[in-house]
Amino acid sequence: MHEEIAIGGFGGQGVLFLGRLLTEAAFREEREVVYMPSYGAEKRGGTVWCNVTISDERIGALFIARPTIAVAMNSASLTRFEQTTRSGGVLVVNQSLVPETVAREDISIVYIPANDLAAELGDSGGSNLVALGALLACRAVVSVSRINKIMEDMLTKNPERLEINKRSLNRGYSWTQQNTQAARQV
Amino acid sequence: MAQLEYNELETILYQKPEALEEHPFHFCPGCGHGIALRLVAEIIDELEIRERAICVASIGCSVNSYEYFNFDGLESAHGRAPAVATAIKRCHPHLIPFTYQGDGDLAAIGTAEIVHACARGENITTIFINNAIYGMTGGQMAPTTLTGMYSTSTPAGRKPSLAGYPIRVCEMLSTLEGTAYISRVALHSPAAVRKAKQAIKLAFRTQLAGLGMSLVEVLSPCPTNWRVEPVKALEWLAENMLPYYPLGEYKVIDAVAALKKEDHHA
Amino acid sequence: MFEKTLMAGNIAIAEGAISAGCHAYFGYPITPQNEILEHMSKRMPEEGRVFVQTESEIAAINMVHGAAASGCRAMTTTSSPGFSLKQEGISYLAGANLPAVIVNVMRGGPGLGNIGGAQGDYFQATKGGGHGDYRVIVLAPATVQEMMDFTMLAFELADKYRNPTIVLPDGFLGQAIEPVTMRAPVTKLPEKPWAITGAVGRAKNIINSFAMEPINDQPRIELIRQKLERIRQDEVRFESINLDDAALVIVAYGSAFRSAMTAMQMAREEGLKVGIFRPITLFPFPIKPLSDLSRKVKRFLVAEMSFGQLIEDVRLSLGADAQVELVNQFGGVPMSADEILEAIEKIMK
Repeated sequence: MHEEIAIGGFGGQGVLFLGRLLTEAAFREEREVVYMPSYGAEKRGGTVWCNVTISDERIGALFIARPTIAVAMNSASLTRFEQTTRSGGVLVVNQSLVPETVAREDISIVYIPANDLAAELGDSGGSNLVALGALLACRAVVSVSRINKIMEDMLTKNPERLEINKRSLNRGYSWTQQNTQAARQV
Repeated sequence: MAQLEYNELETILYQKPEALEEHPFHFCPGCGHGIALRLVAEIIDELEIRERAICVASIGCSVNSYEYFNFDGLESAHGRAPAVATAIKRCHPHLIPFTYQGDGDLAAIGTAEIVHACARGENITTIFINNAIYGMTGGQMAPTTLTGMYSTSTPAGRKPSLAGYPIRVCEMLSTLEGTAYISRVALHSPAAVRKAKQAIKLAFRTQLAGLGMSLVEVLSPCPTNWRVEPVKALEWLAENMLPYYPLGEYKVIDAVAALKKEDHHA
Repeated sequence: MFEKTLMAGNIAIAEGAISAGCHAYFGYPITPQNEILEHMSKRMPEEGRVFVQTESEIAAINMVHGAAASGCRAMTTTSSPGFSLKQEGISYLAGANLPAVIVNVMRGGPGLGNIGGAQGDYFQATKGGGHGDYRVIVLAPATVQEMMDFTMLAFELADKYRNPTIVLPDGFLGQAIEPVTMRAPVTKLPEKPWAITGAVGRAKNIINSFAMEPINDQPRIELIRQKLERIRQDEVRFESINLDDAALVIVAYGSAFRSAMTAMQMAREEGLKVGIFRPITLFPFPIKPLSDLSRKVKRFLVAEMSFGQLIEDVRLSLGADAQVELVNQFGGVPMSADEILEAIEKIMK
């Protein structure tokens, strides 16, 4: 397998955390993996980006020009990913914050109201995990149980937070399975 | 006149310290460096620390001061001696590194390094030779050149409007918390030299007791670049430098004062 | 057997130094390498070693001088503007034949520049950088694993030749996270009878780079010259990929090399026979391997994140009939695989 995943959103939306979770999961599944964050001033305001490349082969470029999977948590990142997502790829759009739609026939697009779904679960900061659930429903780049296990390891002292996180992840996953064509294609 | 018995000659009153090398100093006639270096060597002998002492030399007339000492030493880039000594002390707390720096080195190009070594309270010792001039490069204005004083780069005398004011190093550094002992001495008379030795010795003892940064500023004659004869240079120092750079102790923390008292009783 | 772990490039440098027996670290904050300083501020005291956050880059390199002169493995890390400030100290280290490791996680320049990754300090690192006749060994990592391994290697080479050694990644490699296999700590460090450790039971040691008379300075300078000849002979390192059938060879290092890898794969999918030559030691530059290669291959593409610095060494190494093209980025902007592919296509189609 070889997947190039690009994630973009506002600082505070948990974009980098989402990328780190995917990276850790791929690492535990003994794949080659590279995580490349944007860094510096944009951390405190504008749009944050990160790339995760997961492969069975030695990985070349640190940066992804044309992702096979993209997650747009805000409009600015959609503007980029709308152009760059590779033909045959997956684009997850956070419909709660992104009113725009994408006119492309050659990619699978999931419009998921990530903030609203997270809020319904009482997890206002969980939109990133809802989006991750959507991503995994479309492409099983790592297993859901692996992500859950990582969160268990991270949150041993905070079982409440762990439960909320798991619910958000599962909500994104099941919502995508129930509501979109993209998920059924897998 | 009765002939002296051979054994009457056996009492040695004065000799080259073990911490000094055999070869002579290369300084100009009347220069203060030879006296200052000898004082350091005598103290190192007296404290029995020759095998632990490290001379961190600087740039200027002090450049190869390590050549004169009979113990380990090294060169440091212009002004950086306190940084070099910091690392030696941190890596080898049992060693006794001291910097031997001139005024251009310490108070101009190396101001940041000495200020921060003092601020960190590094347990090192600095011997700061202030002769109010750049010696090695040919008598240009130093940060300590007096107002109105001739130098080869202030041919009409140092003008504050053009070149600012001379820096009083002891006064400045004694405001920093990390300093334990700061003193200004001079080499213009035998009595002054004896006092200088006491101060330098206390500075080394401050380091040996692990009390923090110790610095002794030594007002020192430079007849060549002052363009006066050696004896006149001593008078010039007393008349011109002492008023602007008053001698005395600028910082003596309690623990150092206790060391001093101990010495007095002994 | 040492475990594999996920690690950022900057952290791998810090941990590599610790495994290599680095006894003293001195640093000053500058982006994008602050993680090294921060990590060392925690780890060095844990290991009972020396950590000082200094007042300047200048103080840091001079503290390295003191630690190295007193026989300790010592390191400082910085990014481009700070690397300029360290040049005085690097010249003194080289002049006094002192081993030390300097890491420059390069960022965009010149001037204050920006915090993106770049390779604009190539000349400064490989041609001397400070005053006087000297060179330093320069290692260019391209993976997080190499950030660790080359830092360890840098300490070995520095001690072997009593010469400063530079590790020269770009800012992107510092931030990238990849799996890393941890390395066994070095337990046997070389003896350094020349060090200033206190003149106990021996004649005094002096460490300097100075002589009053030029004629008296000749033996010291001649030793430096001979040492550099040995380094040129024995320490050339490079990696070559797919050179057997290559009609065009990309020359690249660091994160530009990573993009070149991807570009090569894409080109080969199009049927274009592309290989890669990657200098690992930027000094000593792999002159002979490249020169040998140019008897077989005539077309070269240099991919670098600077105006055209690496390309000068490539041109000097190749035969006169070689065609050498440049594809580059600069000023903190990453070199993309697509840009390199485009350049390949332009040459080959």
